Amino acid sequence: MTTLAPADRSRLRRALGELVGPDGVLTEPAELLVYESDGLTIFRATADAVVFPRSTAEVAACVALANREGLPFVARGAGTGLAGGCLPTEGGIVIALTRMNRILEVDYTNQLAVVEPGLVNLHLSQALGPAGFYYAPDPSSQLACTLGGNVANNSGGPHTLKYGVTTNHVLGLEVVLPDGEVVWLGGKVRDPQGYDLVGLFVGSEGTFGIATKIVVRIVRRPPAVKTLLAVFDQVDQASRTVAAITARGLTPAALEMIDRITIQAVEDAFHAGYPRDAAAALLIELDGLAAGLDEEADRVVAACRENGAREVRVARDERERQLLWKGRKAAFGAYGRVSPAYFVMDGVIPRTRLPEVLRRIETIVAAHGLRVGNVFHAGDGNLHPNILYDPRRPGEEGRVLAAGAEIMKACVEVGGSISGEHGIGLEKRDFMPWIFSEADLATMAAVKAVFNPTGRCNPGKVFPTRKSCAPGELAYQPHPLEASGAIQRL
Amino acid sequence: MPVLIRSLVDAVGSAHVREGAACAAFAIDGRAPRAAVFPASPDELAAVMRVAAAARVPVVPWGGGTEMLVGAPPPADALVVGTGRLTAVLEHEPGDLTATVEAGLTMEALQAALGVRGQWVPLDPPAPARSTLGGVLATNRSGPRRQLYGTARDLVLGLRVVTADGELVRAGGRVVKNVAGYDLAKLYLGSRGTLGIIVEATVKLRPRPEAEAACWGSFATLADAARAAAALAGGELGPTALELLDGGGAAVTGRAAAVPVPAEPAVLVTFDGLGTTVAWQQAAAARELGAAGASAVARLDAPATRRALEAVREIRTLIPGMVAVARAGVLPSDLVTYLGEVAAAAAEAGLGLAVAAHAGQGLATLAFASDHPAVDATAGALARCRAAARARGGHLALEAASIGVREACPTWDPPGPAGELMRAVKARLDPAGLLNPGRFVGGI
Repeated sequence: MTTLAPADRSRLRRALGELVGPDGVLTEPAELLVYESDGLTIFRATADAVVFPRSTAEVAACVALANREGLPFVARGAGTGLAGGCLPTEGGIVIALTRMNRILEVDYTNQLAVVEPGLVNLHLSQALGPAGFYYAPDPSSQLACTLGGNVANNSGGPHTLKYGVTTNHVLGLEVVLPDGEVVWLGGKVRDPQGYDLVGLFVGSEGTFGIATKIVVRIVRRPPAVKTLLAVFDQVDQASRTVAAITARGLTPAALEMIDRITIQAVEDAFHAGYPRDAAAALLIELDGLAAGLDEEADRVVAACRENGAREVRVARDERERQLLWKGRKAAFGAYGRVSPAYFVMDGVIPRTRLPEVLRRIETIVAAHGLRVGNVFHAGDGNLHPNILYDPRRPGEEGRVLAAGAEIMKACVEVGGSISGEHGIGLEKRDFMPWIFSEADLATMAAVKAVFNPTGRCNPGKVFPTRKSCAPGELAYQPHPLEASGAIQRL
Repeated sequence: MPVLIRSLVDAVGSAHVREGAACAAFAIDGRAPRAAVFPASPDELAAVMRVAAAARVPVVPWGGGTEMLVGAPPPADALVVGTGRLTAVLEHEPGDLTATVEAGLTMEALQAALGVRGQWVPLDPPAPARSTLGGVLATNRSGPRRQLYGTARDLVLGLRVVTADGELVRAGGRVVKNVAGYDLAKLYLGSRGTLGIIVEATVKLRPRPEAEAACWGSFATLADAARAAAALAGGELGPTALELLDGGGAAVTGRAAAVPVPAEPAVLVTFDGLGTTVAWQQAAAARELGAAGASAVARLDAPATRRALEAVREIRTLIPGMVAVARAGVLPSDLVTYLGEVAAAAAEAGLGLAVAAHAGQGLATLAFASDHPAVDATAGALARCRAAARARGGHLALEAASIGVREACPTWDPPGPAGELMRAVKARLDPAGLLNPGRFVGGI
């Protein structure tokens, strides 16, 4: 919520303008609207100012100013997050890193690069492409999301099944600590001595400071790839196939599941070639050396057929491969064709429990009078049930959040976790006690206090609230024009 | 009976508390512990820690005892807490490729248990018959196969830890993707027991490879071998392990592995996976090594590959007259010039040298030997090697050395700018300074 009186806001604007230049600050309400939410649009919060530093020194100066003024602050990348993690829930300053988007150094011999946090994930891989390299962690939002955001959330993506998540690809970080000091954690050389503060910082959701330089591992593009689409008449068959593939000792590079609702939306939007009448499909990618790839593919096909696949297609060329992936990666966007809004969920379960949990999700969602579309990283048990709903219908949002909580409970009950890659942020802080004891949370709080003793750096995230600020209190408030029906959200 | 001992007996039973001569085996650098205690379970270990905390007695966690001579000596009259009775395999779900086990299992016992279902945890640290999973994770030990499989930070999904005040806490979880809360497991891994005692771990598994094979390429000079290794590291073959050996390293490991190779600088490149792929990789590697000017290329079958990797992994144990072992890290591209300086330092100090380096990682094990060990000469050589590594932005730590050498040459580098943060984390999680105090980086 905005906390400053207009006079103070003007003063803040001038002070920040002196640090980053007058065109690097937004304080007008209309300007601040864009920065009210991330990709999880159900939650909104307004900053007092949004600032766009261009260097580490400017980031540090903004943090120092925030401290002097007693204002909270939170870093923001592209705002594609799906847990409300960059929302300024207590007002203050949003420090947007989008102007710090350079590749500072690429070292192909040592297979690393040094980048700024505002660099778009896919842009890094594209820059490395001509040399035959890429940056492996590939969140589905990689066309827009930034490396800094990836670090904050320890982002995953479909290919992290084989190649690991963000933390497995970060060697070092230059960090502006919440008190404004700049420090290097780790670096270019492997196995730095002492505690793994880099590993601790990755996934800390912007509560330990702001990464201003990132040393990442880059890897060679695999020489050969085979992408298959397995089609099933029953969801159960598809989910059993996932564990069957794993049990055969195969390590696909990616193993994604898409259900009927999602397939139909995707086909309407993109004509990716998915069969509209399938109950579920598995998108399976194998990569590596060409020698042996066919054999691996044969084993995967066998696993699919043994579990009832009615068809298994292999992409014949790169164009077909890209189309299959487009269908998967743009699925979220395609939901707009079948529903005015959708609530993206993120949970993890052991792969072997997939069939039963998918059935439970169907039951839970139906019991709340809603629909769900599933498109997710089946290979590592990372579920993304997308609850489809209409925010204009009274009470619907509340039912969505209730269904979501029940789904998270189901994941926990089978030994899973409440977040596979989107983070806790704002959305799930009150679910943390489902998987962590008081002592567990106290240890995390103790570590947080080392970095962020005042709590001013991204407050209100990750930890459960003592007073119950239920997510519903920050829920979507329709603009008066929308409430009257004069305009409509897309 | 002193109060402390009585409390420990209450916690674990008198049969599992050893004092005096019975715990002489747990002395470190001539400092005997006050007692050595062996709890049966995580709960008992937590109870022991509560006793120690109440009495403000420093604690030295003890797994297999294979890394106890690293760092400054422990405080006098500490309490050794052994994890050797924590050996339960709590869960092994082959379809999930995960397992949750107690930390006192030796690596060998752990791999045997997992092997029953054709799986393994792809960690190959030294001394698997004695080192425990908890100890391996606490010291972040790894082996040559880290080139493909990574290290503990890439394989651990969750931990249970006994804290300095005797609570049992959980970090991470049991599933392969998990970003709920802070990644505290990363903090405990490699922390050498200074932030908590690891009692349980959930690890990622892989299927046991169907095939393994390797090439051993011998070269006239280390520089030639290093160039060949760099080409393999930057290529497409995806080796499991890529080791660069100097003449000394090649001599001892080749002999120990019973692989007929010359005592010349060498590249050992190994592969594992599908039979078809491995055969292709081995042939391609042999061609590349030949093209890079190898004087000889030996092809190793699966058993020979395993023996060779074991020998490289255990190189510390193969050096007669060993006086010190250090581990240095530099950029892979700096390895060959760095190793040249290491060789010069050893020669000037009159020390023998054997080197085995993970060529793709820039990490080198340096083993120094002498018939007439002299602390000053050894410490001097180590100091030069440290300076040379740090000048390249790298690091050097002592892995094995007499107390005399460790007094003359610190085990760890000076901590650097992040040291303050590390000390602050330690102060928060172990304010009384009871967990393995004084042995770690920055005097922690």
